[in-house]
Amino acid sequence: MEETKAYSISAGELAASDAIPDAFSTAKQLIYASPATLAFHSPGAQGFGVKRAALVVPGSVMLLVAPACCGRNTRLLSEVKGYENRYFFLLMDESDIVTGRHLKKIPQAVQEILDFLDQKPSVVFLCSTCVDALLGTDWDRVAAKAEEATGVPVRPCTMYALTRQGRKPPMETVRQTIYDLLPKTAKNPRACNILGFFSDIDQESELFSILKSFGLRKIRQVSSCRDYGEFQEMAEANFNLVLNPEAMLAAQDLEERLSIPSIEIRRLYQLDKIHRQYEGLSRVLGASLDDGKYFLAAKSALNAFQKKHRDLHISIGETLNANPFELSLALSRYGFHVEEIFASVTANDLPYIRRLAALSPDTRVYTNLSPTMLFYDCGSARVDLTIGQDAHFYHANTRNVPWNGDLQPFGYAGLAELITQMDRALEERA
Amino acid sequence: MKGLHKIIFPFAPDQSGAVSVLAGLSGIIVIVDAGGCTGNICGFDLPGWVQSDASGKEPWIFSAGLRDMDAIFGRDRALIDKLAKVAEHADAPFAALVGTPVPATIGTDFGALKKMAEKRLGIPVLAIDTNGAAWYDKGVEKAYLALLDAFAESDDRTVIDNSVGIFGLTSLDFGNRHAKERLESALKGTGADTVRVYGTPGSLSFFREAGRMEKNLVVSPAGLAPAEYLQKKYGTPYSILPEPFDTTGMEEDAALSGKRILIVHQQVMADARRNRIRRLTDAKADITCATFFSFEKELAEPSDMHLADEDAYLSLVRNGHFDAVLADESLLAAIPFFTGSRIAFPHYAVSGKEETA
Repeated sequence: MEETKAYSISAGELAASDAIPDAFSTAKQLIYASPATLAFHSPGAQGFGVKRAALVVPGSVMLLVAPACCGRNTRLLSEVKGYENRYFFLLMDESDIVTGRHLKKIPQAVQEILDFLDQKPSVVFLCSTCVDALLGTDWDRVAAKAEEATGVPVRPCTMYALTRQGRKPPMETVRQTIYDLLPKTAKNPRACNILGFFSDIDQESELFSILKSFGLRKIRQVSSCRDYGEFQEMAEANFNLVLNPEAMLAAQDLEERLSIPSIEIRRLYQLDKIHRQYEGLSRVLGASLDDGKYFLAAKSALNAFQKKHRDLHISIGETLNANPFELSLALSRYGFHVEEIFASVTANDLPYIRRLAALSPDTRVYTNLSPTMLFYDCGSARVDLTIGQDAHFYHANTRNVPWNGDLQPFGYAGLAELITQMDRALEERA
Repeated sequence: MKGLHKIIFPFAPDQSGAVSVLAGLSGIIVIVDAGGCTGNICGFDLPGWVQSDASGKEPWIFSAGLRDMDAIFGRDRALIDKLAKVAEHADAPFAALVGTPVPATIGTDFGALKKMAEKRLGIPVLAIDTNGAAWYDKGVEKAYLALLDAFAESDDRTVIDNSVGIFGLTSLDFGNRHAKERLESALKGTGADTVRVYGTPGSLSFFREAGRMEKNLVVSPAGLAPAEYLQKKYGTPYSILPEPFDTTGMEEDAALSGKRILIVHQQVMADARRNRIRRLTDAKADITCATFFSFEKELAEPSDMHLADEDAYLSLVRNGHFDAVLADESLLAAIPFFTGSRIAFPHYAVSGKEETA
């Protein structure tokens, strides 16, 4: 830590660099556990980590097989409506950590859970953590044994934080695990699935109306399935619409196993790009698109906001329902000043960063995870509004839009709602 | 089944216990994990009021951010490199490496890590081999002992008159941000002029001067080992907290005369509550203390017991014919079948919830 100020780089410098600087690499430095970054540390700490995500399958329960420390914060999840009596723990002791003898107890533990519950679960997920990653446990075998012994579907679900930057990070494999439960069934040409999130896309989003206008009658997402039977009906989909790249691995599996092809679209905040994305979707599906009224509604909300808040300086975090760089690009294109971005940078973000650099080369990009954030000084930037809880941590006295609710914004409606919330936050200040 | 928890969620682990002692001492704390443990410790087990020092600074806590290849190849040197980078300008009085299941599984040599790090950093390095499978009190104890080993100086042994050192008052034992002030006030009311609570913000100098206390007071079992250490090293006598140091629950305790009672907490607080109930009821109560945490025979009465897991607790309540159970709310919620009196006796390491009283 040469410098005694927080590391940052301008968007211009970042766009011009040959490689992503080491300061953004968690392999090259300790990870600062500031309150701003807690959401990243634990796959189960906040939002949808593996433990919460797997239980999106209706009627499922989870047996966490791990040392006590891995299940400690699950108490928070258990207090969320719908998650009561769905978490169970087989605590590993000091010998188990080395010998792996805990694995022999699992069929009996699953049976005891079944005896305890009033209703038979649709599936029991066996959630494992770093210890078993290191022991090289064959979870498919362990789950098969438990399934054979108890007669309920038992599936492994790995929460291997050690593999977060690996080929199959935990949040990708958990999606694979979920959709692997879908059986082969006859196709319904008027059905599609939305993959990507563990909570519902906001019903206000035009996505649903547009898909219906394309002739689709069954538009399913796992979070809105009322029971396991309805969840299994997702197998009849004619295609999967993938809104989050973390679901691509699961989508590829579904294509291979159930012959359901996938179309990838992104959550965007640039008005013209949203339109172009819908155009592309309509072309792929051979349907005609009429998104004019949704476009105009969002544009009108944007124009009104632009007139009202002409000289707005914004800081953007990464704990939000948006790609922080795409959102920064969108807001810069709308004429606002993006002062700072607090976010990790990946290769996928570089196209956004390059375009942002052309518009706003001086935007400073910080990484929440850097130890140098201990020295962050909020006094050096003018900030009227922060978006994201992490950005709010750094500018605690500035108006904030958390933009991280469970209900997932999407499309024109997502942009319009963000603008509404930004306006509300700024009005509160006044 | 042993180890299976169907109702009661896991308690605070040893690594959280260690960090609860270290967080207030302005050192660099590195949790040797992949990230998840740090999230659990900082996001759940460290209450919001825990600060690095009296100025209100955030504790300097880092995750080692281990990845699979780091664990497989045991890249200790890479970890020390990362730590050294932070230490360069941190001006910290010490660094601490706190163990988790990952180093426990791969058999990390914490002694060697400590030596390597001290050589590189030139400051004391505490290597605390917690493993995430033991409960918080083991980590608290390890952190106290590591701090005393590193800092307790034997040069100045001038005893401070009417001074008391407190061991075991952690945020995980006493989830009330006013606990320290209340204990200090209670002790000052009984004649103590100087009260030093080890492990609270800004208390590193207390460890340095640990030999100067007239006596030590142990308020949780994790405080026993450091108190014994100081008795052995400096001859400082110690005693165990005889009764709770605040008045919360006094009325409920007084109404327990003639009852058969179960108290579940950490052993020192359970025993202290028992003493108070006996005093208030003229010893007309039949009281059993039980604990999921450290169980010291010398602190126990014959009917007291250690609870190995959830089944042991449920079985004790089912078969104990108790009229009243005093326990953390989350433990009371686990016994819906119990028809007697339920008296909340909060324990942050169990529920993770702050006491507001």
